Amino acid sequence: MAAKRSRQAVPLDRDSSGRYLPLLVAIMVYMAALALAGALSMSKLAERWDTGLAGALTVQVPADPAADAAQFAAVTEALSATPGVVAVEPMDSGAITALLEPWLGDAMLTGDLPLPRLIAVTIDTDAPPDIAALQARLQALAPGSLVDDHQRWLDRLLDLARAVELMALVVVVLVVLAASIMVAFVTRMGLAAHERSIELLHLIGAQDSYVARQFQNHALSLGLRGGLLGLVCALPTLYLARMLLQRIDSGLLPELNFLAHEWSYFVLLPVAAALVTMLAARVTVLRTLARLP
Amino acid sequence: MVRFEDVVLRYGNGPEILKRVSLQFDPGSYHFLVGASGAGKSSLLRMMYLAQHPSAGRVALFGRDVTGLSRRETALLRRRIGVVFQDFRLLDHLTARENIALPLRISGQAGARSDKDVEELLSWVGLADQMDALPPTLSGGQQQRVAIARAVIGRPSLLLADEPTGNLDDRMAVRLLHLFEELNKIGTTVVIATHNESLVQRFPHPVTRLRDGEVEIAGAVPPGTAPATHTVSQRGGD
Ligand SMILES: Nc1ncnc2c1ncn2[C@@H]1O[C@H](COP(=O)(O)OP(=O)(O)OP(=O)(O)O)[C@@H](O)[C@H]1O
Ligand SMILES: [Mg+2]
Repeated sequence: MAAKRSRQAVPLDRDSSGRYLPLLVAIMVYMAALALAGALSMSKLAERWDTGLAGALTVQVPADPAADAAQFAAVTEALSATPGVVAVEPMDSGAITALLEPWLGDAMLTGDLPLPRLIAVTIDTDAPPDIAALQARLQALAPGSLVDDHQRWLDRLLDLARAVELMALVVVVLVVLAASIMVAFVTRMGLAAHERSIELLHLIGAQDSYVARQFQNHALSLGLRGGLLGLVCALPTLYLARMLLQRIDSGLLPELNFLAHEWSYFVLLPVAAALVTMLAARVTVLRTLARLP
Repeated sequence: MVRFEDVVLRYGNGPEILKRVSLQFDPGSYHFLVGASGAGKSSLLRMMYLAQHPSAGRVALFGRDVTGLSRRETALLRRRIGVVFQDFRLLDHLTARENIALPLRISGQAGARSDKDVEELLSWVGLADQMDALPPTLSGGQQQRVAIARAVIGRPSLLLADEPTGNLDDRMAVRLLHLFEELNKIGTTVVIATHNESLVQRFPHPVTRLRDGEVEIAGAVPPGTAPATHTVSQRGGD
């Protein structure tokens, strides 16, 4: 009936078989939301490191009080002369402090920590210099010098980010699986509880899809309700995590600042949960009924 | 319309409830099916509305063998059959009106016009004041009338009524049997199972009598009435 809303032929809203379904879906959506937040922030962190460090070398000259400024100048000059190097920029101690601050926090840097001298080098990513040769040459000019292209470190970070994303995906898949099994179970209970009504519907000409529709509509509304509840609970959790992370104020840690389109993934979670719930109910009904004589 | 050939029915490993029943109800005919309690009337009807498969023999409806029908074909065939169940089988959570409209909802014919049909039919069976009552609040006779209205709302080609007047007073019983006659006039084949033989005698329709799972009298036409279009045979005869 189009305009007039009439009662369901199978009174699923009156029995207890689906009572806990919204709560269970809520828990699942909650876990999925946390997994999604973890994966998103981890991949954003990796991206930040990646773009921040591409085409950049850091040359570290030990803070040796005995070494004079000439040695440092020689290193700078050698760098400038190297093919593939675009820019050479020695950092004063203020810049170094600023650089380290997001990594270590400002508390660490107020003391008289002996800081090495750093040279920021920009290289041509299309024709990069030979890092190993460069390292050897600088070692000769100023023993203890280091050329760091951050690559090894960056690779490990990217591995970590990818692993976290994968884990989040596994969590989501498991959550969907658990939800489906649960819905199948609840649906079977409903089918058994309403066996006689369903038999009657069949006897007056209902097809299996008609019966399935009764169940899937009910499951959709339960799933949506549960999904929204789960999301509503997940948001304060994420907000809290974000606050705690911001308080630490270190660039090493991921942030939980999401862009608009990233927030829309979270809004899609309850919708997806409702669809999964609905589909699981439909498949269960159709498969169970098809087995009837 | 309905054709049974050597149909045997047993429930599980129990005794034969029906033993080699052969009969044929032609399109547009009106039949009474009588017999003592336990004779197998309801069992026979159950096979006609495809709720029960025969243990042996063949059942054909609308000129079509019903063995091996898919679930979909079964559903579509059932939409052409109206059934008044002996135990009514109303849905207790739906009002009288909604129960009656259910076959229309299922076959996708529900709408404003059918709402009016439902109300008219309810008034006709004397339930104008009970349209929105739930079945548990209705008397047995009232429930039975709702069940009858649900069976006829879709203008079925075949109407199977199992003891449709059991809970009704004689006046209402006759009124409803006339309703069935009206349907019969517009082409519906009617089969009524009952053990109320005095009621049967008031109508000029052929009577099939079951006794101990066998057809004892096949399509006897009460004296003084024209023979109806039907044939009923027993034990593969005819
Ligand atoms: N589901 C069933 N399982 C086992 N036996 C059954 C079943 N249904 C009916 N019977 C048996 O089949 C026989 C015929 O029953 P049926 O209901 O067809 O009789 P009936 O003629 O309709 O009787 P009544 O006039 O009392 O309604 C009875 O002996 C009954 O016990
Ligand atoms: Mg009976």
